[in-house]
Amino acid sequence: MKGRSFFILILVLLVSFACRNSSSKKAEFVFPEADTIPIGEAEKLSAEAIDEIAKNIASPVEIANLLQSLAVPFSPDYLASSIDANKQSTSFDKALTLGILGADLGYLNMYEKTGSSIDIVSSIRKLAEGISVGQFFDFETIKRLSLNKSDLDSLLFMSIDSYSQIDEYLRENNRGQLSALMIIGVWLEGQYLATQVMTEYPDPVLRDRIGEQKIILNDLIMLAKPYCNRDSEFGNLCRDLQDIKDKFRDVRITYTLGEPVSKEVNGALVVEQTETSQVEMTDVQLAGIIAITKNVRNKLIANN
Amino acid sequence: MKRHFFTLLLLVSAVFILNGQSTDQLVTSCVMNAGPNCKYLKDFRIQLAQAPSAGEMRYKAQMSLWKNTKYKFSMCTADDSKGELILTIKNDANQVVLSSFDQKTGKTYKSVELTCNRSGIYQLSFDFKDGQQGSGVGVVSMIK
Repeated sequence: MKGRSFFILILVLLVSFACRNSSSKKAEFVFPEADTIPIGEAEKLSAEAIDEIAKNIASPVEIANLLQSLAVPFSPDYLASSIDANKQSTSFDKALTLGILGADLGYLNMYEKTGSSIDIVSSIRKLAEGISVGQFFDFETIKRLSLNKSDLDSLLFMSIDSYSQIDEYLRENNRGQLSALMIIGVWLEGQYLATQVMTEYPDPVLRDRIGEQKIILNDLIMLAKPYCNRDSEFGNLCRDLQDIKDKFRDVRITYTLGEPVSKEVNGALVVEQTETSQVEMTDVQLAGIIAITKNVRNKLIANN
Repeated sequence: MKRHFFTLLLLVSAVFILNGQSTDQLVTSCVMNAGPNCKYLKDFRIQLAQAPSAGEMRYKAQMSLWKNTKYKFSMCTADDSKGELILTIKNDANQVVLSSFDQKTGKTYKSVELTCNRSGIYQLSFDFKDGQQGSGVGVVSMIK
């Protein structure tokens, strides 16, 4: 009798696991979608909103790709090389630095300077371990892929995927403030990279990309907002983000409407937008954005 | 009884491991098969039950797309799915920019390339054809 009940139990368990694949709600185990923010702060920003904001932030890989397409040469001077992972004492510093170095890693990988990225990869591991998310960063594989330049695609995927997993894990475990810091760090370093290149290699496309950040800046501020009164570090960061926003206030983004044009090419669908966006930004406004980005980024790095 | 317990533990662990592996394999293969000159940006992992009735696409996410960038959206469906994964993208004015499912011909495209000329936040909606059950991954790459 005992044995029969036992096998029924096994059957029930197996069926229930198999059913995961056919249920949208339970699917979260395999394809995590849910996220949370600290209790009591949920009313300020829904978990769904945080998830969406996190996905809206431009990838540093996109910025690096833009720089490459403009034939901008690689320069190690743009990197936050002065950061010492061993000196990051607070979770705030560790998470923010994790974001900054993540953007630098994207830049190095896109320019295929993977051999030089080992130091950054080591620092990222230390920082990730420092906030107990080291398990999502497969250091050995990333290091191997970095040294073996032949598999850049796998390296890019693994690096970005590690960051996505860290971000999701932090939010799922009520550590949304660290996720917010990481995302802000990635954005800030990407914007720093773009603005610094702009001063040396002015280009209208790059100029527009800098101005277009107005589209997501508000979201970024919303992401930090629930934590602005948490401590002085967050308070200062929120003020810095507000200062950056102020510099974007008079930048105008306008749209020209148009229907997308679709055609089939070799069995794939190819779509071209005829709808366009335009950025109106004066030289003074651009100079203000470049200066504030540099100040904020360098201040955060100096603190570290 | 002890032996049965360990058998149970082993079976349960195996289900967990195999489940995770198949997901990871689908994502990895979808990313690696995106095509030449494609650089991975993001992926969306989707798992949906059969819809009570066909209607609105059920998995929604937002993503910023930037002007002067060519994107590729690859849809990969797990073998045990009943329907094929499809994607529709709308702009912030709720206008359809692209759909991987052509309602006129009934054709489903496994990938769609988009030349983005308007920077903004777009809504990506995924579902399985006719609201069927399935699991899959939508990979967003940038074409260099």
